[in-house]
Amino acid sequence: MASFNTVSEENQLTNFMQRIEAGEKIEADDWMPEDYRQTLIKLISMHGMSEIMGALPEKEWVPKAPSLYRKLGIMAKVQDEMGHGQLLLRVTEDLLKPYDKNRADLMQDLFNGDLKFHNVFHMETKTWADAGIIGWLVDGAAIITQTDMLKASYGPYARALQRICAEEVFHAQHGESIIMALAEGTEQQKAMIQEALNRWWEPLLMFFGPASKETTGSSKQDLTIKYKIRTKTNEEFRQIFFDKYIPRIISLGLTIPDSTLRYDKDSNLWSYQQPDWNEFKKIIKNQGQRSEARLNLRRHSYEYNSWVRDALSATIS
Amino acid sequence: MNNEKTFYHEYEIFSKRTPSSAFQHQFSLLAPNEEMALIMAQENFMRREPVADIWIVNRKHIKRMNAEEKMTLGRLENKEYRTTKGYGYLKKKWRQYEQEMLDEKEILSWGGERK
Repeated sequence: MASFNTVSEENQLTNFMQRIEAGEKIEADDWMPEDYRQTLIKLISMHGMSEIMGALPEKEWVPKAPSLYRKLGIMAKVQDEMGHGQLLLRVTEDLLKPYDKNRADLMQDLFNGDLKFHNVFHMETKTWADAGIIGWLVDGAAIITQTDMLKASYGPYARALQRICAEEVFHAQHGESIIMALAEGTEQQKAMIQEALNRWWEPLLMFFGPASKETTGSSKQDLTIKYKIRTKTNEEFRQIFFDKYIPRIISLGLTIPDSTLRYDKDSNLWSYQQPDWNEFKKIIKNQGQRSEARLNLRRHSYEYNSWVRDALSATIS
Repeated sequence: MNNEKTFYHEYEIFSKRTPSSAFQHQFSLLAPNEEMALIMAQENFMRREPVADIWIVNRKHIKRMNAEEKMTLGRLENKEYRTTKGYGYLKKKWRQYEQEMLDEKEILSWGGERK
């Protein structure tokens, strides 16, 4: 019987692309081209680490949340984010098998800057309204990009996203609830949201990444679309975000800090003031407002908790 | 740290929502033993939805199918006699005798009180 392994690389690639085109799901043990594996590892490890790093600016607000109910709510969200990190690191670890690497290696990559975490989590959170804006708009933005990948060609990632997106719905509503309370509160509370929105508008635009690779010199957009990992470009995601959230932001009496923002009915596109992409380039080199502080917090907790890993892995003779 | 690769096991987690439902695969996790895996399964996958039972299965105990084996799973569409599809014509027949056909939906609805 002819073994599958004897099939030439070229035939395997043709077969693989046919499966992708037919909408079949690729599983961890299946043959896959190297750039598909590499693209997935980069995308999913970054997504996983971003869930973990993203929990850090939010956990800062657990002790400072204004009521016990709000503390419980944001704590549940922080726990979810860490859970999402677990799922995604598991998916990445199975992809890393041929390289004999695991999550400890990924953690080292994060510490030495080889593995990035999402640009939005390098920012500072100044008030409780920032926590609300993160839940409402940052999670809203994340939902737009993540639901696009629910049908991703890589089965384990698609299944992880099913669980993640279901919980993101709760996160977005949690954020809306914080914002709604402030929006219907005192003048001071209303001003708090406006200030938070002013701070977060640029990071929210940057969230989706630059429209083309000319901005930063590299982009995985084309590969992820070719391999049916996602279906839309960065700019398409950003436009969907505008469609969904601009009317809601305005309905709460808030002002979007961009006087050039216009909707063009003919093209169905929003025109807007570009964020400072040079700032974006700095952030993705871990030179953002809170990049080093958050990495240090992660390093510290990793070192501080190393005794647990040592104790668990000690050989009993 | 150096022992991590041999110390942790990969477990596949299955659970069911109610005592009468079937087990469903949830996801995989890393744990040093089954007891820890059970705790982590609840933390990781069952924070909200109802759960009636959990199975923890070490991945090394799962016989998987490779690509070649999966290719044997394709079915030829020539076994109508094994399915109700092959007997669909009976519906028309029974109509000639002024009777309703006892189809799958009807039969699976039996078993309760006599109506």
